Amino acid sequence: TRYTTTCTARAGGAAPESERVTKMSIMSYNGAAIIAMCGKECVAIASDLRFGINQQQTTAVDMKKIYKIHDHLYVGLSGLATDQATLAQRFKFRHNMYELRESRKMRPETFANLVSTMLYEKRFGPYYAEPIVAGLDASNGYKPFITGMDLIGAMAPTDNFVVCGNNEESLFGVCESMYKPDLEPEELFEVIAQCILAGVNRDCLSGWGGVVHVISKDKVITRTLKGRMD
Amino acid sequence: MARRYDSHTTTFSPEGRLYQVEYAIEAISHAGAAVGLRTSEGVVLAAEKKILSKLLETSVASEKMCKLDDHVAVAVAGINSDANLLINSARLFAQRYTAGYSEPVPIEQLVHHLCDQKQGYTQFGGLRPFGVSFLFAGWDKSSGFQLYQSDPSGNYAGWTATAIGANNQAAQAVLKSEYAPNMSLNAARKLAVKVLKQTMDSTILMPDKVEMCEVACAYEVPSEKHIRFRMASDKELEELCGLANSATLPTS
Repeated sequence: TRYTTTCTARAGGAAPESERVTKMSIMSYNGAAIIAMCGKECVAIASDLRFGINQQQTTAVDMKKIYKIHDHLYVGLSGLATDQATLAQRFKFRHNMYELRESRKMRPETFANLVSTMLYEKRFGPYYAEPIVAGLDASNGYKPFITGMDLIGAMAPTDNFVVCGNNEESLFGVCESMYKPDLEPEELFEVIAQCILAGVNRDCLSGWGGVVHVISKDKVITRTLKGRMD
Repeated sequence: MARRYDSHTTTFSPEGRLYQVEYAIEAISHAGAAVGLRTSEGVVLAAEKKILSKLLETSVASEKMCKLDDHVAVAVAGINSDANLLINSARLFAQRYTAGYSEPVPIEQLVHHLCDQKQGYTQFGGLRPFGVSFLFAGWDKSSGFQLYQSDPSGNYAGWTATAIGANNQAAQAVLKSEYAPNMSLNAARKLAVKVLKQTMDSTILMPDKVEMCEVACAYEVPSEKHIRFRMASDKELEELCGLANSATLPTS
């Protein structure tokens, strides 16, 4: 998605005093890449670790984009970093209140609907973040659930994979070719790790390593990936 | 229009007392007792259940104890529906704080906020005060384990051990003589149940009349991540009640 905003950027070869006005999508200001995949009784969610400012500067290489809501529910957020971080706090708030009132944790589908509603509430002045929800439904035999959505909350649940970020086309491409249904947790890890590393290679705004969470019924394995640091 | 209500609920008497607040406190003295003890390993709350019926669904929310956040809990004495409103307000406050500061709410701030709300109902609006006293048990990084008591007037204080509800003076007397600041959490649990037994009417303490919870840390050095709220299990209550009962059985 391209949401343009007018930004002033100093072009390399221009005269020092002059400033050129260029159009840049606000979603590309910081940079991110996130993939979630369904496996056999497990889900995996992976993201890159780059944090850049105004596209050109890389400021951190350990930027968290995937947040744990509970043991079987993770949410990854791409887009503008400040909105992504704020939304994560708001999701935690809402889930904590839910858990206190219901005395149980939210199902992934319920949470995804909550995310969708929260985003749509800001329909005419949105959060510039696109989330991916990945989890296992404890009330339904730990069935895997993943969905992606756009910045105003249009959900797209699926049983294979979802991607979001700056270079969606590239991520879609690698996932389409490498994904297979019903992979065991370890195989799923291999596939998603290769997909995220390959998918970010052609994108200057994401990369600098990655992190993968593989969520199964009784454990979550988190691994940090070493990739091309450029 | 509002003036007429004010003169009935939130104005001083000639002797300088707030009758409505005192009546609210009186209402609580008929409610089930709750007792709290603070130790260096955690804070324990125990309470006497007043509503007992085989038909009651006990698996659903507890009557006396409530979790406000991972690191803080309350015991309630008084009108439960009033308590529910305040508990919801406390939970929202705790979450808003965490959303803003990315850390658990400090206990005193939470207590203070709730008490400010209670105080509001003693000064304006023409509404009656909340008929609830709370015992707050919690932990935060700067002050460690804490126990607070609040009443309908909106006053609150920090305690090492205290009791609210029916027969709370008797409970306080026992606590004064038997509580020690360096008690272990285990000893505190036993003492809490013992104190409850002494304030209740019956000679034998039945486990289904008691509720207990604690905010404690599994590790010796408490840290944000490891503070847990925990309701006592039925088995634990049985053991503790058994101990309390056998301690005062007359030897034949």
